[in-house]
Amino acid sequence: MGVTILLSYPVPENKTGPQTAELLIKRIGALGAVQSGQFLVDCETFSSGPTMGGPPRTVHVLHNSEQPAAVFALLESPGPPPKTVPLVADGLFDLLMLKMSSIYASKKQTRMEARGTRFEIADFLVKIGTVTMSSNFKGVLVEVEYRPCFIAGNCWELMREFMQSFLGSVVQNTPPPYFQVHNRLNDVYQPLDTIQQYLDHFASYRKVAGL
Amino acid sequence: MSTNSTSIAMEAPVEMQIQEIAFDGQETYAPSLSMSENLTKLAQKIDFAKCGPEEVNKEITEIDRNEDEAEQSTAPPLWPWDSVRNKLRNALTEVSVLSDLLTIAKGKKYVVLDPVPQDPPEPKPAMMMVWARKKSFAGAASVLFSGAERLKNSLIEAQKNRSTTADFHIELLRLRQNFRLKKVNNTIIGDLSYYRSSGSKHFHRGTFEVTKSEDEPDKLLSPPCSPNPNSANKLTSALRVTVPGELQGIASIKVYFQKDQDSLCSSNLNTPDTAFSIPEIDWQRKLEVAQNVLFCKEIFNQLAKEAVQLQSPIPHVVVGNQILASIFPGVQLVICLSHMEMSTDGKASLPPPIPRHDQVLEHTLHQLLRELHEKNAHYLLPHPASAPLGPSRKRSCAGPYAMDREEFVEMTESQTMLEQVIQQAQHTQLRDRTLCILDKLATQYKDPLISVHWLWLNSPTYACIKVTIFAQGYDEIYRNLVIIHVHDTYLKCISRDGKVVQLSYESMELKNYILCQICRHQIMAVQYLAKAMGWQCVANSFNLGSGTLVETFGNASSCILVSPVGDRLISIHCDQNSRVQVSVAQTPRKDFFPGQLVKERKWENLGNSFKEVQWEKMIGKNFLGKMELLMTSLTSSWMQ
Repeated sequence: MGVTILLSYPVPENKTGPQTAELLIKRIGALGAVQSGQFLVDCETFSSGPTMGGPPRTVHVLHNSEQPAAVFALLESPGPPPKTVPLVADGLFDLLMLKMSSIYASKKQTRMEARGTRFEIADFLVKIGTVTMSSNFKGVLVEVEYRPCFIAGNCWELMREFMQSFLGSVVQNTPPPYFQVHNRLNDVYQPLDTIQQYLDHFASYRKVAGL
Repeated sequence: MSTNSTSIAMEAPVEMQIQEIAFDGQETYAPSLSMSENLTKLAQKIDFAKCGPEEVNKEITEIDRNEDEAEQSTAPPLWPWDSVRNKLRNALTEVSVLSDLLTIAKGKKYVVLDPVPQDPPEPKPAMMMVWARKKSFAGAASVLFSGAERLKNSLIEAQKNRSTTADFHIELLRLRQNFRLKKVNNTIIGDLSYYRSSGSKHFHRGTFEVTKSEDEPDKLLSPPCSPNPNSANKLTSALRVTVPGELQGIASIKVYFQKDQDSLCSSNLNTPDTAFSIPEIDWQRKLEVAQNVLFCKEIFNQLAKEAVQLQSPIPHVVVGNQILASIFPGVQLVICLSHMEMSTDGKASLPPPIPRHDQVLEHTLHQLLRELHEKNAHYLLPHPASAPLGPSRKRSCAGPYAMDREEFVEMTESQTMLEQVIQQAQHTQLRDRTLCILDKLATQYKDPLISVHWLWLNSPTYACIKVTIFAQGYDEIYRNLVIIHVHDTYLKCISRDGKVVQLSYESMELKNYILCQICRHQIMAVQYLAKAMGWQCVANSFNLGSGTLVETFGNASSCILVSPVGDRLISIHCDQNSRVQVSVAQTPRKDFFPGQLVKERKWENLGNSFKEVQWEKMIGKNFLGKMELLMTSLTSSWMQ
């Protein structure tokens, strides 16, 4: 599992989302990338009912097609102090959540998906996907993974240069906000970090009014 | 009414006696006798003197007669108790006589009392019960004793007999500890097959029959009781075990290598001289041998199936009881099932002796089949226990460890038995070739010494070698190191400067590589030595090529050294056979003569002509030693 940076590509005014995705695909194709399948990251949110007592807590259950056997769950409890508990589990976790439907109710309308194609180019893995929330288009997400390295701080410069080559000035010169907290730049990168980046982006998309 | 009849008054006789009749005719009856008065009347009639039954009868008749008379007589007795008094008086007399007698007897002077022998008195009831109990205990004890005697006798007999024959049932018990038996219609059938009991998918009936041996107990043996191999086994068995015909004999898998042959297979005819008879063995070993036959057949079956299904560049050939698989072009792996069957006269024929049978690969085949059985039969208990049963541990952990797609693909790849055996065989061959080459080179080259160290951590498909090239006495100056990783079809060599070279299974490539390394070592070592002595290296070249020589292995390299002062030059050329040409030059030239073209004196500093040194005549143990001497002598020559 290499270091993965997730970027939200802003859709220009005169273009639609899928057109933007096409544009990026053309650019990455020009660099010599080889298409190798589709990818899907989806997120379902459950919130605790009144039977639990206390402020309502939310559980986000995410799946990533890159890790087909794993289910990621993040529990956010707002009660002081606000903390997020991450969990990586087997596929049986979905069934467990079904069983707990009386305690944790799922909000079907907030189900978010990032779906698109994945490209392999040398040591990089690029995924260009469109984010939809119950068939409403929300935005374009670009995920870039550098496979040989697993410490973000060591390869941030290399990745920035690569991303700027096909994304342009959208890429900032400083690492994304996710990596700037908790000394994450020098920590070993885990698949859970990718999922948390996805969750942050999904949360920001949810706040934006529907396109 | 008749006038002649008279009325007669009938009256009962008077019961009570009339005592008196009064004047007015009133009769006064005498009061009737009460009971006690009646008793006294009768008592006075009893004569106490004569008491006997006949006299009693007589008296009874007398009493009856007297009663009749008494009613007629009216004489009253004088005194009712008179006779009683008389009789009592008589009794008193007699009692007084008795008391006198007793008083005299007490004095013991005149009269002595002799005891009369009496019957023994009736025993008391408590004592009788104790004796009765004692008798019954004695009876029970005797019964138990007789039983114990019988048991002891039988035990002694059994001990005496144990040294010669064993009991059928005890033998059966021992047999049952090792093999599955069941009773079917009065016969005992055992099961030798691995099918379904240990995860084999190969169906074979493999049943054997167990019978009592009553007619020939001498021939059959029973397995020894102790595992000590020295104890002589003299027990004869009461069991006879009959194995099915196709499992009789001894089978094994023979694995060996052979060079490519034109004929696909060959067979040998055996002369009767080579026949021999298999000695009689006990039933345990007989069953084990039969089961081994079954196991070997299953291995061969599985390999044959895979050989037909696998796609390989040179297809595998299955002929009769042999499987030919080519591992390298020109080398074939032959796996053959050799089954020594018993012929009708009890003699078996030996198969042709197999050249260089590889026991390690045979063991590998056994292990692989057992692994296959294990995978089919045993499921790992997953953690947590509620997870689905069946996937391997790695697959169960794939979720929590968030494994990638590539890791999944890796997990699903698996190799068949034949592929694994071929891989191991290839590695064995490659390793042997590498060993040969390195040994040959080590014995051939004495100037830089080659030392080969094989790492002890290895696997059936991987080995690692460390080759050190150094000069004797100068190994501190410079040592060339090569690490060789031996895989199944290729070698990976890593040299000291970090270059990685992948060599194929051709052994000449390795020879070439090592020779190049030797050459390189010579020149590098000379450079380091020069540095230590103050000389400088002004030019070097490592890849001069081999030129037009016939041998195409190895490389030539050269270098030029200049002395500390700068007046001497040494040029060294080392070729692939480790032959060295050393030439020395001097600046300024001693033989400079200005000619037509070159006029000035200053040109004597250029154009060094090298003079070759007679290297064989140099003093020194090896190349570096000679170089050291040369450099020393040239350094100090400036003082002259």
